[in-house]
Amino acid sequence: MKETSRLATFVERVDWVLLGLVTSLALLGILNLQSASYTHGMSFHLVQSLWFLFGSIVVAVLAFMDTRIFERWAYVFYGAVILLLVVVAVAGTEFNGSQRWINLGFFYMQPSELLKISVILVTARFFQDKNQNESFTLRGLWHPLLLVVGGVAFVLKQPDLGTSLVVLAIFMTMVLFQGIRWSSLVAIAVAVLISTPLIWNVGLKEYQKDRVVAFLNLEADRYGQSWQVSQSIIAFGSGQLLGKGHIEGTQVQRGFVPEHESDFAATIWGEERGFVGMMFLLSLYLALIGWALRISAHSRDRFGAHVAVGVAALIFWHTLVNLGMVTGMLPVVGITLPFVSYGGSSLLTMMMGVGLLLNISIRRR
Amino acid sequence: MTAFDLPTRGQRGEIAAYEGRHKWILLFCLIAFLIIAGRLWHLQIIKGAEYHRLSTENIIRQIDIRPSRGRILDRNGAILGDNRPSFDVYMVPHIYRRYRTDETVELLKQYLNLSNEEIERLERTMRTNLGEVVVRRDVTRAQVAMLEEDKLRLPGIDVRATAHRYYPMHAVSAHSMGFVGEVGTEELRSVERYGYRPGDYIGRMGLERAFEEILHGSPGIDRRVVDARGNQQGEAETRFLIGDYQMVKPIPGRDLVSTLDADLALIIDEAMANHAAGSVVALDPRDGSVLAMYSKPGFNPNAWSGRLSRNEKSRSDNDPFKPMLDKSVSSYFPGSIYKIVASLAALAEGIMTPTDEVNCPGYYSFGGRRFRCHRRSGHGKVDLEKALQVSCDVYYYKIADQLGMDKLSEYAHMFGFGERTGLPINNESAGRIPTREWHKKNSPEGYQRGFDLNTVLGQGDTLVSPLQAAVAYAALANGGDVYFPRLVKEIRNAQGDVLFEFTPRVRKQVNMKAEHLDAIRKGLHSVVHKDGGSAYRLRLPDIEVAGKTGTAQVVKIGAVRIANEDKEMRFRDHAWFAAYAPFENPEIVVVVFLEHAGHGGSEAAPVAMRIIREYFNQDRDSLSALITKIGDENLIQERDASDEGEALEESDALDGAESADDDSHAREEAE
Repeated sequence: MKETSRLATFVERVDWVLLGLVTSLALLGILNLQSASYTHGMSFHLVQSLWFLFGSIVVAVLAFMDTRIFERWAYVFYGAVILLLVVVAVAGTEFNGSQRWINLGFFYMQPSELLKISVILVTARFFQDKNQNESFTLRGLWHPLLLVVGGVAFVLKQPDLGTSLVVLAIFMTMVLFQGIRWSSLVAIAVAVLISTPLIWNVGLKEYQKDRVVAFLNLEADRYGQSWQVSQSIIAFGSGQLLGKGHIEGTQVQRGFVPEHESDFAATIWGEERGFVGMMFLLSLYLALIGWALRISAHSRDRFGAHVAVGVAALIFWHTLVNLGMVTGMLPVVGITLPFVSYGGSSLLTMMMGVGLLLNISIRRR
Repeated sequence: MTAFDLPTRGQRGEIAAYEGRHKWILLFCLIAFLIIAGRLWHLQIIKGAEYHRLSTENIIRQIDIRPSRGRILDRNGAILGDNRPSFDVYMVPHIYRRYRTDETVELLKQYLNLSNEEIERLERTMRTNLGEVVVRRDVTRAQVAMLEEDKLRLPGIDVRATAHRYYPMHAVSAHSMGFVGEVGTEELRSVERYGYRPGDYIGRMGLERAFEEILHGSPGIDRRVVDARGNQQGEAETRFLIGDYQMVKPIPGRDLVSTLDADLALIIDEAMANHAAGSVVALDPRDGSVLAMYSKPGFNPNAWSGRLSRNEKSRSDNDPFKPMLDKSVSSYFPGSIYKIVASLAALAEGIMTPTDEVNCPGYYSFGGRRFRCHRRSGHGKVDLEKALQVSCDVYYYKIADQLGMDKLSEYAHMFGFGERTGLPINNESAGRIPTREWHKKNSPEGYQRGFDLNTVLGQGDTLVSPLQAAVAYAALANGGDVYFPRLVKEIRNAQGDVLFEFTPRVRKQVNMKAEHLDAIRKGLHSVVHKDGGSAYRLRLPDIEVAGKTGTAQVVKIGAVRIANEDKEMRFRDHAWFAAYAPFENPEIVVVVFLEHAGHGGSEAAPVAMRIIREYFNQDRDSLSALITKIGDENLIQERDASDEGEALEESDALDGAESADDDSHAREEAE
């Protein structure tokens, strides 16, 4: 009797706005993928629908679990992810010159996606434990910093520059949210400035350098490295105000924009739905991020507040970097558009984030 | 069940410190998204129309359809310059660069016999050319089959049927026909507005060059809808995307009907078989039409219009007889055929009558020197007829002594010597008729009176082209009309309608009294038909021919005349024979010039007489018609065979030095 009443309370407290926003984005993404499948042999939208259903189960499971479990097991989970990254480094599957995947037979698992979630959890746990209202110093942060940099190093080595930067950005967002001293911030900036040339010379592979160079020199070489981006820009621009219509995008449908189902999914939307469609998409993302921040504000404790901010950051940075890259404002670094890009790993990561948000939202004050 | 436990730990006060920070984060996100929105506004709204145009251009591939080049016909309709089907291999650079693999490059090399250098050159060209690049022209059918079969592994490679220039007569009359070559990159800039595109052919010599505007035609356009790999899309889709405006038909070039006689050219080629170098010009004296312009050694215009092999090119470059030079319009010492000038001058100026006699003891004393006659023992008493018949030099020394070179020059100009004849092709030489003034300016020792005596014999500094000689002898044959040589009869469109007709035009008149003309003609007749004449042995049984032999010393006439056979080749005499026939009512003028061949009477006259005999032979077969008919099949076999030969040669050469760059230089030089 007591159990059912609790369950009823739970259902009562379910955050329908959150689920509505996420479902809208996912359905938009599936519609978009139907267009991508049209001239492609594969039915991206059907596969993506299955992943979305599976992701919904993940959301439900995560939502009903006790928040304290995530808190308690945060470090263990992080350790497990690091272990998976080690497995990737040793026995991972290589594709396109980058070793990122573990072959599970039915599915290529990408542990670097899990790293994003585990960094959020471990950072939130750290701030919960510290329970400190004053701004942190760099010295006070050395513990999570070491963990995060350690994880990122594995990802950078795969190599996967995009994911590395996103993970660091999420971490930095959470740190800034918690509060950090100006002097420490300056110290971090200096460290980044010094390490950048080092990373360029040692850390980056040739193809990554090529992409950055191509980006910086976009118009000069229309048929070279940045061909894809140039064609993406033409696709966006040719969409004009209202777009060319569903499956009418000549750029994406005729193969001028490769990878249009995954990293360049926004290009389809932009060409076929135009500026209006893009504004609608951006509004959905902004609403979702805003809602996640609202969940954070109403959270019961530091851990919940931090996790919600972390997930908001995850969605934000993915969206910003992806849209920046497909519109030619940022180099192509292989970051997906949340809920819209095709791919199980990416969608599942986002759905895990949504599960955490829902969990915290249900347990709001 | 812990799952549904609502945690009690943690109070709102604990996170009060975060109050307000969410708003800052949201503000940051908003600003970032506004930047994205601004970028999209810029791309989609401000520059939307431009990008829309670019996206449309992306899927439309515009292909220029080359107009078929006009044909060149001879006076009887035999085809001298034709088009035959051929296959060219093109490449669309952006597709090739995106999808090519090592395998693609290997296949290309293998199928098209490309060297590494050619692949490199190709990839260089791609950088500057965003449209299409020609990979290989005129490939064999076997190669086309291989390329088509492996189409999927050769992204961006496109084989298209085009027309290639073909000359059924090959080397015969190559100089007046000329040849075509691919338009150069620099050149393209100046002719692009006339409808030329990269890879187009343009006339390089002869009629092909002079009548380029008429032969070329204007290109058409074909618009196709393609995908990113360049695959053509269906008809319905094409119509949907770009409407009915898909094709603009090309306007074919106009046909030229020349005055040339292909059969006569073949006769000449046969008659010249034993001579290495020289020229034959045949005119119709009645209207100035050029029946034949023949220059030897020749070249194969089919090879020059396509891919010239390295061997052929270097053979041509190193030939001391300069095969690419049109000798019909180049000038040489004319020797005694020039004596017609002095003959007329002497009669018209009244210093001689046709019957006045001069004694020839074998030399002419002048200023303490003896100017020798070619016959050391002398000719005895000679009048005009005899002087021409035996080509007595002393007779003309006397005329020159009395008239001087300036007076002679006036009469030379009457015949058109020293001036361009007005032939439209091959940048003819004006020749040179020296005067005192000229000598004062150009001779190191200035003018000397002895020069008059050299000049009168067509020696010294006198230069005449075979064509000029033919025009002058035509004037004698027709009673004094110096015609513009007429090389093209009419221009026709592809349907065969005559668009323009070139009528005969008289350039000027040689003013001479009938009895003077008759006296000269009589002399020329005696050369062939009177015992002792310099071409008497070669007279024809049924055709009366008038003519004049010429033997031009290439080195200055000294006191000692060296026997021709003892001289080095390049010092040997030029042999000439200028003739017209039939003597009454002449129909043809033939001038034979043999470079360094020796004596006019023994070398040039037999060639000319044989040409005249065959020309009037009613029973001969029309070879040119036959050649035109069977030529096509022959050529394709020949080309396929030569291509295989070349491939062998290339794979043998380790350095692979052959590159198409060399070829293009060669064609430029050939201009």
